[in-house]
Order: sequence, then structure tokens, then C-alpha cells
Amino acid sequence: MSLLSWTLEAEAPAGRGTTARRHRLSNGLVLISAIDRRAPIVALQTWFRVGSRHEKPGATGMAHLFEHLMFGQTESLPPGEFDRLVERTGGESNAATWVDWTYYRLSLPARDLALGIRLEAERMQHLVLESGPVESERDVVTNERRERVEDDVDGWLDEQLMALAFTLHPYRWPTIGWMEDIRALSLPDIRAFYRTWYAPNNATIICVGDFEEPALLDLIASHYGSIPPAQLPEPSQVHEPAQTRERIVRAPKPIATDRLLVGYKAPGQDEADWAVLEIVATLLAGCPSARLYRRLVIATEAASSVDAQLTPFRDPSLLRLAVTAARGHTADEILGVIDEELALMAETPPSKAEVEKAKAIAETDFWTSLVDVDGKAEALGHYEIALGDFRKVNTLAERLAQVTADDVARVVRQYLVKDRRTIVIAEPENDDTEDES
Amino acid sequence: MSNDTLRTPGPTIVVEASNDTPLVWFDIAIRGGASADPRGVEGLHRHAALLARRGAGRRDRAELDETLDNLGAALDVGVSRDAVSVSGLALSRHLDAVIDLAADVLAEPRFSEEEHARLLRETPQVLDEIRDDDSALATRWFDWLCSPGHAYGRTSLGTEASLTRIDRASAVDLWRREVVADNMVIGLAGDIDETTAAKIVTRLTERLPAAGRASLELEVPAAPARGRRTILVDKPDRTQAQLRVGHLSVRYGDPDTAALAIAEAVFGGMFSSRLMQEIRVKRGWSYGAGCALRRSRLPHWFEIWMAAGIDVAGPAVALSLELFAEYAAKGPTDDEVDFARSYLVGSMPFHVATARQRMQLAVRDAVFDLPPGYTAKLPEAFGALAASDVRAACKRQLRPDDAVTVAVTTAENAQVALAAAGGGTLTVVDHDEY
Repeated sequence: MSLLSWTLEAEAPAGRGTTARRHRLSNGLVLISAIDRRAPIVALQTWFRVGSRHEKPGATGMAHLFEHLMFGQTESLPPGEFDRLVERTGGESNAATWVDWTYYRLSLPARDLALGIRLEAERMQHLVLESGPVESERDVVTNERRERVEDDVDGWLDEQLMALAFTLHPYRWPTIGWMEDIRALSLPDIRAFYRTWYAPNNATIICVGDFEEPALLDLIASHYGSIPPAQLPEPSQVHEPAQTRERIVRAPKPIATDRLLVGYKAPGQDEADWAVLEIVATLLAGCPSARLYRRLVIATEAASSVDAQLTPFRDPSLLRLAVTAARGHTADEILGVIDEELALMAETPPSKAEVEKAKAIAETDFWTSLVDVDGKAEALGHYEIALGDFRKVNTLAERLAQVTADDVARVVRQYLVKDRRTIVIAEPENDDTEDES
Repeated sequence: MSNDTLRTPGPTIVVEASNDTPLVWFDIAIRGGASADPRGVEGLHRHAALLARRGAGRRDRAELDETLDNLGAALDVGVSRDAVSVSGLALSRHLDAVIDLAADVLAEPRFSEEEHARLLRETPQVLDEIRDDDSALATRWFDWLCSPGHAYGRTSLGTEASLTRIDRASAVDLWRREVVADNMVIGLAGDIDETTAAKIVTRLTERLPAAGRASLELEVPAAPARGRRTILVDKPDRTQAQLRVGHLSVRYGDPDTAALAIAEAVFGGMFSSRLMQEIRVKRGWSYGAGCALRRSRLPHWFEIWMAAGIDVAGPAVALSLELFAEYAAKGPTDDEVDFARSYLVGSMPFHVATARQRMQLAVRDAVFDLPPGYTAKLPEAFGALAASDVRAACKRQLRPDDAVTVAVTTAENAQVALAAAGGGTLTVVDHDEY
């Protein structure tokens, strides 16, 4: 009966021998299924279109708090029962929250898929939010924040960079939330957040693994079909004003050498130039022969590590360069080298061979992301939720393949400029290193 | 799909074929590793391995990096306590070219003087990065102090002092002595057939010296350290304490391994485990809390870990020791054993789901000198154990009275509480002493 409730909307390859198909239930719930029978397991992920960008100032950390609360008591499951049921099967559960999404992951033996669907449907509708468990999880989250931010210099750098780089956009606050906000989130607001965002028409289920599709459709329809859609808030689109001058902050930390994090304003992942900047990131610091790695780590030995990352966000975000200075070298000296290398790349396009190198690395990365069922599910979920269509997992590969050397030089000139960058530097508290510059 | 572990004269070979992606992985394990570093020259195996990767055959470091990157490939070296590893990833259409490069690294590393000197300058900075990372720092101190004199207490990175004693000739000699076919385990997984795999193994080993497997005589104290001790690694401005509590335990493959795996799951290996429930769920003291029996060729640590708020660091250690003592004495209940057994048996398919996972498990078993399929067959052993067997193993192998506690935190705010936590004599050291 339930087959009639589903609409098949799209299908596309998801790796060799696997086809992903998007189905929609009449209440708005989306399912993306991909059969992969190489092992008797399934990846069952439930993605919600709610992340830290949907929070309000003063109530940051709300989306992430749910990553914890959703494993608690429901109307039919006593506290702890969710985890016990999953672990008894040999399966595992976890969750992740970022700026554009939150997702809940179950890795289950294939024979226990029905259990997973029942549990997910239960906590989408019937989570019990009472003071005691909420306070306990609030304590856990504050400790998580201490571990990942207060006592971790890289976490601190990351948080400071986003806070300084963005002035209006919600990307400016950390996904885990500001400590004072985490402590202040009220129970009524927590309940309201749940009612607002945890609804079938705001969710996409990804199921990859060893199952029969008709049975899966029946199961999901029977557990979710009666859940009414919610009235979702109108999507708010905050346009971050263009950055017109460099921003910089420095702070002392109990570390051995300078640490530097630079963020250049970059387009959203769906924009054409994002793929070009992905190639640029690889050419700068994405492989052992990358330009900045060779110059900073090998040739000058000014740094012990260098990394480049283009954040895969829906809205414009950052291309980030993270560098740890070597003993006797400073962040300012390293910034000078970065500027020289970017100027060189802007003035003279890389050779075709160099661009092809980055494409070869991207091809390997693409296949690596699709090796196991969890990885496939994560890729499908991210592209469906952040960019609106799981099929873009394949089109990104095509976009990367089309990048030319001239594209590279053009985007370096356009995006990787001083006026569009934000810099955060952590310096040793008792700086006894000699500045050789 | 195939699963072969061949043990003939020459390398041990593992092949796991699967064409679900156009990728091939290879893991070459060379028995030895950091535990075989000469006393006082800790870091030698790591140094030799990294140096070998920095130029081989007709290519210097830059040319080797460039060639690999142009192929979209990776060739990494590493060192664990039990082996040096040379691991690769290649698109299958480029596999031949990548294997040629790996074979050069194994047979003809340049060991250039320039890179030797550069690496000696670089490694102390890796030590700096560990000192900046509280969790890594806690593990480094715990490894050093858990069982003084044990080969696994030797840091794979070395120390500021031991690095000064590493010379190029020692690295060259180590490589020639240990990188021989009989001393290697070679695993291949992915888009490859067995005929191709056999040819690749030949190409990887045909230029290596003809020599037997190196003998490994490693130090393991005859009598483990007795009594509780606490080491507070003092670091300024901490809001938490990274905690490690544990002692020397058994090797992976010991007759008690299956029973201890169940014991580990009950006490700290699942979200439903006792430590997670008592420390995180009931009290909110730490984001995570658990325990692990380190899987190694020789007897290794049983280790409890968590990161508690600095205000509850003392109570967290006290409670952990109390829970540990109770668990060692009484062991898990029948229900807990049933639950953990169900979890462990049910979770095995996730550990062997991909060809790469199966290959890596088989390579590890071979490095540990275990029978082929040892890990994959553990579920059978779990099924054969009674709850009383697990309780007996806990009594035999868990020794809370000899627990060593390491806390990376700020002494000014945590020393009094940690001293009163029941962890034995407390010693304060500075975080950058080691």
C-alpha cells in the first residue's frame, strides 16, 4: 500500500555498481536509498535541515545540543534505552552538527534495519525534554567545549576566525555555541526548537547498504507516514557584507611556537568558483609537492605544518590556511611567504601539468569518500541537504575536471587578496623564541 | 573477493580483492618498530622510515613527491610500536607506477645527508606539537611511565636527548637489516586480482637483500611496577584534566584476549558501559570516558581515559579508581556479559566490511604472529565464554592497586584534589620536560 505514497524523484550513480534514488513521501519526508550488498550492514542516516545557522544570537549551540538530547528518553523509550538497543545489535550511533545541517547516524547489521527506522521515527516525534536530562547534557556539552575549544588552541583559532571574519552571517558563531549561551539555553526554547525543526518535511533519510528497496519503502511509510508536516520557518538569507579590509587578532596561548590561521572569503560550495578554489587549496597545501608546503616546511623550514581547507558550506565562507611556525620563526614571517606565493600564482597561471596533478588528487579523494556505506551516505546527505541535490556528488567531480590554469590565476586574484582576509595568530605566552626574520 | 594469507619463505602476503572502486591500497609492515629502538636512541625507526621516503632510486625527495602527486597517489611511512609501515593508495590504472616507487623506497632509499639533517631539525617540533595537545601529551606521559623499562614505554618520536644520538649510518644499517622479505607482511586490497598481486609482491621484494627475519628481543619487565602512582603534568591555563589511568596488561593473542575484550566493552568500550554512564551520563563530568586494552604484539596497557573538568578532576580520578577496583574484584554481571557479547559479535561485520579493512586486520594479525584469521574468528571465542570466565579473567588481569594515573592539567588548581583522589604518591612534572 505504501508504495503508492512515495514519489520517485531522481536517481544517479553513487559509486561503481550503486544507484542512489530519491523518493518523497506525501508528508514531505525524503528518502535516498542506495543498495550496496558487499557486507550485511546498512548505514541509516537522518539529516535535518537545521544547523547553527538557524540559531539566534544569545541562543547559540542549540542545534548542537540536540545532537546530545536526541539520544535521551522518548515517550516509549526510557533513558539510555536508545543506545542499549542499538549496541545490543552490534551497531553504533552518533550524530554531527555543522552550520547547515544536523544528522543522526546509525550503523546497523542489515537484519536490524527495521529497529533503526522505528527508533528514528520515535525520536523525531516523541522526544521527552525534561529539566534533569537537559541539565546533565548541558554539563557534558560544556565539557566538550572545554576539550575542543578552551583547552585546544586549534579549536580556539577556528572559533576566533569565524567570529572575526563574519559580521552578520550566522556562520560567525561556533556550532558548539558560546559558553555563556550554552549555559543559558532555556527549556521552553529547547522544546520550541524541537517542535520547529524536527519534522518529516525537514528531514531526509539516507539508507545505504544491504536491503530490499520495496521493504524499506514500506517500513519507512509505516513508521513516518502518519507524522504531519510542520510549518517550517521561511528560510532567512543573510548576506554578509563584502569585506573590504584585512582583519587580524593576536592572543597569547600556552604553546611552543606561533600558530596562524588565515581565512579568505570564498564562494558557497554550489558556486562555480568553489571548484576552482578547491584546486587552488590542493596546489597550495594539499599534497607533499604543494607550493606552500615546499616553501614553508621544506625549503625555508619556517613551518612545521601547513594545511589548506575550503569549507563546504552552502553560503559563502572561507578558504583557510593553517600554519604552525617552526622554532625561531614567526607568524608574520610566514604571512609574508604566503603573500609571495599567492602573488606568484595570481601573476603566472600554473602549468597544465600542475593543475592536472590537483585533479588526479581530487579523483582519488572522490573515490575514497565512497569506499564504505557510511561514507556514501554522508556524501549523499551533505549534497542533498547543503546543496539541494544528492546528484551534485557527481557533478562536483565534473566541475573539478573542467578547471583550467587560467581559472586558477583568476580566482587567486579575485578571492585570495589581503582585503578579503581575516587572520588569527596564537603566540607563545612566554615567547623566548628568537625572531630570525 | 578473496582472502588469502600465505605463509611461505619470504613475506607474509594478504590479498583482498574488490572492484567497488578503482582504488588499490597496499600496506607493507616491517616487523620491528619503535619498541626495537636501541635504548637511548629512541626515535631511530621513525627516523629511518621517514628518511627512506625522502628520496629513493633515481628520484630525490621533490621528484618522488611530484611523481606521486601527479598520479593522485599517496605513499606514506609510519612507525608503530611493533612495525614500520609503508602504505600506499593508488588509482588502479596507476598502480604499476606507484609500486615502482614503493619498491625504490624499500630497496634503494637515498638516505641523503641533507634530509637526515633536516629531519633531525624537524622532529623536535613534532614534540612541540604534542606538548600543545593535551590529549596527545597525556598519552605520551602515560606510555612513558606506565611500566618503566618496558619496550612500549619508548616513544616512537624519541626525546630531545635521544634525537641527538641518531646518526645516518644507524638508520642505513637498520633499514638494510630489517627491510628484508622474510621480515615483511604485505597486504593488498581493492581493484586488483591475485595474479597481479603476486607480480606486485615480487616487484616489491626482488631487490631486497637475501637475509632472514630479524630477531626481536624486546624488553618486558619480569615483574610489573607495583603500587599506585600519580603524575600531574603541569600545564598553565587548563580548564580540564586529561586523565589516563591504567597498568601493564596482556598481549593481544593472550589466552585471555577474548574474555578481556568482553570485560573492556562492559567497563568502557560502549556508550552503555559503566564508565560512560557513571562519568558522563550521571555526572556530566567529561564529554567521554572509556577504557581500552591496547592491541599489540607484546603485553601492553589497560588504560582508562577521560577529560574531566578541572573542578572535578580529583573526584573523577577517585571514582574511576573505585569503579575499577570494584570491577576487578567482582567482574561483570551475567547480563552485562550477554550484552557485550551481543555487541561484539554483531559489530564484527563493520570491521570487515571493506576489502581494505579485511586486509588491515589480517596484516595486523600477521605482525602480531597470530594465526591467520585470528581477529575475524574472535566472535566464535566470545560465544564459547561463560560469564564466569570473564570474571575470572578480570581477577587475573586487572590490577587497580597498581594503577598509574597521569593528569595533564594546571597544578595550581588541581593538585590538592588529585593528591586526595587515592591514586598513590603524587609527583608534579612540567609539561615540557618530556
